[in-house]
Amino acid sequence: MTAAGPVEHYREAFAALAARDDAAAERSAAFERFAALGFPGPRDEAWRYTNLRRLESRRFAPTDAAEAAVVSLPSPLAPHRLVVVDGRLRRDLGSSGLPAGVSVRSLAEARSAGLSVAALLRVPAGGGTERFAALNAALCPDVLFLEIADSALPEAIELVFVPGASEGSMQHPRLVVRAGRGSVARLVLRHSGDDAERLVNVVVDVEVGPDAALHVYRLFEPGERTFHIERLEATVGQRGTVFVHDAQLGAGLARLDLNARLAAPQAAAELTGLFLADGSRHLDTQVRADHLDVGTRSLQDYRGIAAGRGRAIFNAKAIVHPGAQQSEARQSSRNLLLTPGAEIDTKPELEIYADDVKCSHGATTGQLDAVALFYLRSRGLSETEARSALTRAFAGAVLSRMDHEAFARVVRDTLDLRLARLLETRP
Amino acid sequence: MLSIRDLHARIGARKILKGLDLEVRAGEVHAIMGPNGSGKSTLASVLAGRDGYEVTAGRVEYDGRDLLALAPEERARAGVFLAFQYPVEIPGVNNAYLLKAALNAIRRERGLPEVDAFEFLALVRGKMQLMQMDESFLNRGVNEGFSGGEKKRNEILQMAVLEPRLALLDETDSGLDIDALRVVANGVNSLRSPDRAVVLVTHYQRLLDYVEPDVVHVLYDGRILKSGDKSLALELERRGYDWVRQEAQVA
Repeated sequence: MTAAGPVEHYREAFAALAARDDAAAERSAAFERFAALGFPGPRDEAWRYTNLRRLESRRFAPTDAAEAAVVSLPSPLAPHRLVVVDGRLRRDLGSSGLPAGVSVRSLAEARSAGLSVAALLRVPAGGGTERFAALNAALCPDVLFLEIADSALPEAIELVFVPGASEGSMQHPRLVVRAGRGSVARLVLRHSGDDAERLVNVVVDVEVGPDAALHVYRLFEPGERTFHIERLEATVGQRGTVFVHDAQLGAGLARLDLNARLAAPQAAAELTGLFLADGSRHLDTQVRADHLDVGTRSLQDYRGIAAGRGRAIFNAKAIVHPGAQQSEARQSSRNLLLTPGAEIDTKPELEIYADDVKCSHGATTGQLDAVALFYLRSRGLSETEARSALTRAFAGAVLSRMDHEAFARVVRDTLDLRLARLLETRP
Repeated sequence: MLSIRDLHARIGARKILKGLDLEVRAGEVHAIMGPNGSGKSTLASVLAGRDGYEVTAGRVEYDGRDLLALAPEERARAGVFLAFQYPVEIPGVNNAYLLKAALNAIRRERGLPEVDAFEFLALVRGKMQLMQMDESFLNRGVNEGFSGGEKKRNEILQMAVLEPRLALLDETDSGLDIDALRVVANGVNSLRSPDRAVVLVTHYQRLLDYVEPDVVHVLYDGRILKSGDKSLALELERRGYDWVRQEAQVA
C-alpha cells in the first residue's frame, strides 16, 4: 500500500458523490484540506497513543441512507426526538413536531433561506481531528441545522445517530447547533449502532449565543467494531455557558476532540463525563478549552475506567490566551484500572498567557482501594459486590452531575450491567 | 464459640503473634488489654481476615469451623463482626446501601428472607436511636466526613443492625469523649446475650467501667501472659504492664 492509498480511496468516494448539491466549492475545498493533511503520521503528537493503521487499511463504502433502511431505535430519553440515519434526518422515524422555538433545517433549506453554506460546512481548524472534520464536510450527505430561537426555553430534544447501512460502510453525520441569545436548551446526542464494522465520522458544530445555556448530554454506545471519530466544537458567547455531559460506553476505537472556545467575556464551559474502556476498546478523548476573553471559566472533569484489554487516553488542555484576565480553569482527571492488563494515559495541560487567572489541575490513576474493599467484605458483601459498589461510587461523582434524569438512568444502568459482567468474569 | 490455639502470625518478616491461646464461650465478654505493639490489632485483623497477615502456625475455630479458611465475607455471614480501630471513609457508597446489603447477605446465609426497604428503615431507625445518631447519616457516604467519634458510633450501629454472634471491637473506645463512650458501651451492652460473645481489644480500662467483662487477658509480645476477672483490668490501670511481664518471667 502506498502512502497515498487511503486518501485516494476517499477521493474516489468523494468523486462519486460530486455535484449532489450546490456546495461544490466548499466541499471540494474541504476535501483538498483532508487530502493535504492526510492520515496522521507516526510522529504526530495529537495521535501519540492512537494508531489508525487499521482504519487506514479499510475501504469503507460511502452510504446515503436508503429511505427504507430498517434501524432499531433505543427507547426515547426526551419528549422530542430526531433520528439521523447515515447522516440524514429521517423525519418518519422521529417524533412529530418540535418544541416551540426550535427549528431543524437541511442544507438545502438553510441555503434557500439565505444562510451561508460555507458556515454550515465550516471545518474547525487545528487539533488532531481537523483532517476528519474536513473529510466530513466533503462527504456529509446533508447538514442537520438545529436552531434554538432567542430566549426560547424548549423541552429536551434527543438526537439519535444510527447507521442504516451494514458491514463495511462509512457515515459522516454533521450537526450544526445555534442556541440563540438567552435561550436555555437540553440536547441528548445519542450515538448507537450494531456490531458491523464501520466508520462513523461526526462533526458537531455548536454556537452558544450571549446569555444562553446549552446542555449537551452525549450518550456514546456504538458497537464494538465501530471506528468512531468526532469533533465536537462549541463556541460560546458573552455570559453564555455550554455544559457537556459525556458518557462514553461504546465503540471499538473512538477518538473525540471536544473543544470549547470561550470567545467573549464571561463565557463558560463545563466539560465533564466518564468513559468505560472494557473488552478491547480503545477510547481517546481530547478535551480543550480556549479562554479567549476576560472572565471566562472552564471546568474539565472526567472519570475513566479501564478493564480487560481496554485502553483509554484522556488529555485535557486549557489555554488562557493573552488578555483573558480573571479567567478560571479547573481540570480533573481521575482514572481507575479494574484489571492488570488495562491501561489509561492521562495528561492535564495548562497553558497560561495571562497573569491574573485561577487555574488548577489534577490527575490520578489507580486501582480500587484495598482497605475499602476489605471493609465492605468484612461486612458480608461478596468481592464482586464490593468491587462493583466502589466502582459505581467512583463514577458517581460525575454521574451525580448528569442533571437529565432519563439520560443519567440509562448511563447508570448500562454501567451497572457492564460492571456486573466485568466483575463476574474476572478470574 | 471461639477457640484459638497456639496462633502465630506475622507481617512480612516481623513476627507479631507468637503462640496465642484464647477460649471464648457464648454469653461471655472478654477484654484483651496490652501495651502498644503487643499484637492486639493484629489479632483482630487476623480474625477478620485482613490481607497482609500470614498465619504461620496455630488454629482458630469458630463454632467448630476453621475460621482462617473462610474469606472475610464468609466470616461476616457466619456472624463474626469486627469494629475497626480506624474505619475507612468510602465516599459514594452510602451508609444505607452498605447496611442493607450487609444485612441481607447475612440473612441469606441464615436462610431468612431479605428485608425490604420498609422493614429495613424501621429496623435501622430503632438502632440509630439507641446510638443517638441522626437519620441523615444514612444517606451520607460510609464514614465520609465523620468525626472520629461518629465513625466509632457508626461501627457500633452496624454491629447493632447486623447482630453478630461474635463481635470483636478493636480499640473502639480510643479517642472517644465520655458521652460517646457511654453511647458505644450502651450499644455493646444491648448486644449481650447468652448466645453471643464479645471480645474487646482495648488499651484503657475505662470502657470496662461501662461494659463489664467476664474475663480480662493481658496480651504481651504476641501471647496471653495472664488472665483474670475484671479486677485485673483495674490492677493494670494502677500498676501498668511490667509486673505482668516480670511475673511471667519468674514463672
